[in-house]
Amino acid sequence: MKKNKITIALAGNANVGKSVIFNRLTGLHQHIGNWPGKTVEKAEGTLHFKGYTVDVIDLPGIYSLSTFSLEELISREYIAVERPDLVINIVDASVLERNLFFTLQLLELETPMIMALNQMDIAKKKGIKIDHEKLQKLLGIPVIPTVAISGKGIYELLEKSVEVIEGKEKIKSVKARYGEEIEEKIEKIARMIKKIQFKYPARWTAIKLLEEDEEVKKEILKTNPEIVSAAEKFAREIEEIHGHSCSTVITSERYEVAGRIAREVQEITPQIKPPMRERIHALTTHRILGYPIMAISLLLIFFSIFTFGNHASSLLSDLFYGLEPIFGDIFGAGIAGKLIWGGAMEGIIAGATVALPYIVPFYFILYFLEDSGYLSRIAFLMDNLMHKIGLHGKAFIPVMLGFGCNVPGCLGCRIMETERERLLAAFVVTLVPCAATTAIILGLVGAFVGVQWALALYVVDLLIIFILGRIAFKTLPGEPTALIMEMHDYKVPHLETVLKQTWFRLQEFIKIAFPLIIVGSLVIKMAEILNLLGPIANVLSPITVTWLGLPVITGITLIFGVLRKELTLIMLATLLGTTNFAQVMSPVQMVVFTLVAMLYIPCIATIAALVREFGWKKALFITVFEIMFAILIGGIAFRLLMLV
Amino acid sequence: MKVRGVRKMELRLTDLRAGESGIITSIKAGQETGHGERRRARRGWGFRKRLEDMGLTPGTRVTVVKSAPFNGPLEVYVRGSRLALGRGMADRIFVEVKR
Repeated sequence: MKKNKITIALAGNANVGKSVIFNRLTGLHQHIGNWPGKTVEKAEGTLHFKGYTVDVIDLPGIYSLSTFSLEELISREYIAVERPDLVINIVDASVLERNLFFTLQLLELETPMIMALNQMDIAKKKGIKIDHEKLQKLLGIPVIPTVAISGKGIYELLEKSVEVIEGKEKIKSVKARYGEEIEEKIEKIARMIKKIQFKYPARWTAIKLLEEDEEVKKEILKTNPEIVSAAEKFAREIEEIHGHSCSTVITSERYEVAGRIAREVQEITPQIKPPMRERIHALTTHRILGYPIMAISLLLIFFSIFTFGNHASSLLSDLFYGLEPIFGDIFGAGIAGKLIWGGAMEGIIAGATVALPYIVPFYFILYFLEDSGYLSRIAFLMDNLMHKIGLHGKAFIPVMLGFGCNVPGCLGCRIMETERERLLAAFVVTLVPCAATTAIILGLVGAFVGVQWALALYVVDLLIIFILGRIAFKTLPGEPTALIMEMHDYKVPHLETVLKQTWFRLQEFIKIAFPLIIVGSLVIKMAEILNLLGPIANVLSPITVTWLGLPVITGITLIFGVLRKELTLIMLATLLGTTNFAQVMSPVQMVVFTLVAMLYIPCIATIAALVREFGWKKALFITVFEIMFAILIGGIAFRLLMLV
Repeated sequence: MKVRGVRKMELRLTDLRAGESGIITSIKAGQETGHGERRRARRGWGFRKRLEDMGLTPGTRVTVVKSAPFNGPLEVYVRGSRLALGRGMADRIFVEVKR
């Protein structure tokens, strides 16, 4: 019987145009989520082709199938255990050798596979000519040349996929052969593994055992420790022959095979004049000029996002608040009316006025920069600085995002390799002053105390980030990882893909943040209706009044700030009955208040993002820690400032 | 620094000048077992594996394009592609250079 639902997985290195192909294939039928229980993004989409419903899974961009990163682990488990009907290996034709190294590993997983030889246009520009028919013969799998950006070859890719799945085209893939002394040992181990019915192919498992792969070892050890000890013995023998560890020998030989194939199928014409993209690369990573170029680009980006965001935000909130009388007419001024407007609608407005004006352009620019290749250059330039807090260059990207909004910042921590680094980076991100925090700093301290004080607060915050980041780095168990990252050639980003990525990430943001914002807003409204706010402020007064030296009502505003931070300022104006804060608060009070508002809690949307990525426990820990910390610092600042 | 032959020498990758290239001889990590420090050995394994997976295997020619200032990462060219390598990593890669 013909099966009409099929699954295809896309696998390949990072930056080979995988997401462009994914978007070409699935259009707007996509779903972005996380792999169950993991902080790794899972993109899934569907399409219809020749009577089939095709489910497409975009696996993370990786270079190997070791256990170094979560992405690699997830990818190999998915391919070996979930068994998609077909894997499309997407390969960058302009960096063939490195890409083939990964192809050879996929072939070892013994999965039905075809290859999309992508970015043929870039290869051509670099003077690389590839004989794809010869490549097809050498690998034993169908190879389709594609240019994803223009859509060339995509139809053929799908056609070939279906042919292979239907069994019309038989695949007889070739496997990398290692040296005789290694092959003989692989065979011996594989024979033992065949007997125990392991979930991975026997040959692959044997190779992984010789490579001392932690995960595979652990699993085999549970049932058949004798196989592991046999493999260890073999590995030592190989090490003695070669003078390098067995895993080194296997990796080298695999790369040798990849290199040999690459040399056989490609013809390179050296280029005389360095092309434009090389000159841009040299300039943007220049030891001196690279930094001002980066600073200017980032400042321009932030400036335009904030200008645009400000206008769009006030426009949106005017629009929404225009609805208030209508709601009042419908639901009346009773409790129901108050809850619906003041609770639910205020929550939606809070979310919408942040999400649309700031997050949309932020995501757009992020994906634009990522696709172009500039993000990896920024990571290169910032590596040294980020090392001071135990992170490497890539972490600068989520931190930078955090200045706009902490939510995409936290989600952006997925680009880090290990769970530990993701958590560490996310913790740093929650301390970064976001757009709303900046609004408080400028609107209160900047306007009524002085710009130099606003700047000083910024500096204090950066210092705190630095110190806390360092402490967290020292206390969290585990080892830091260093930067190792491919800097692919600059290219013009594919606008359609960037727009789609923005759109689907926005959906994700709404799903994460909105429910909590609305619930939080309802709870606070309830407290207000029940006249609990005054008593709560009084309960908090030992902290707010005695320890921090602030007016009693600030307790209420700080509670509202949980929803979104700029509400602290708006509520302050409402409760004090004036926007001229200088009349009701002393400069010291304003500075202390801003300091606390800046540090005290990641807003509820950020907490939601933390929960999503790291679970309740860690999110709660970060939140509680930051509240305590803000109170502590606020009190100290109050006492110090009183001395001045 | 060990001098072998006429003008061949083994250096750390970080000792290379911009534009200079060499052949990788070894990556110093993960082999020091002993003292029962298994965790440390494991980490070294992952560290070396990662470099090797990116194509930095013994016998490979690697070119240092430049390094970022203030002891920043290195930009290297290996197997037809460009990599950014943190200094801590590059420091443990030994290469044979002709000078």
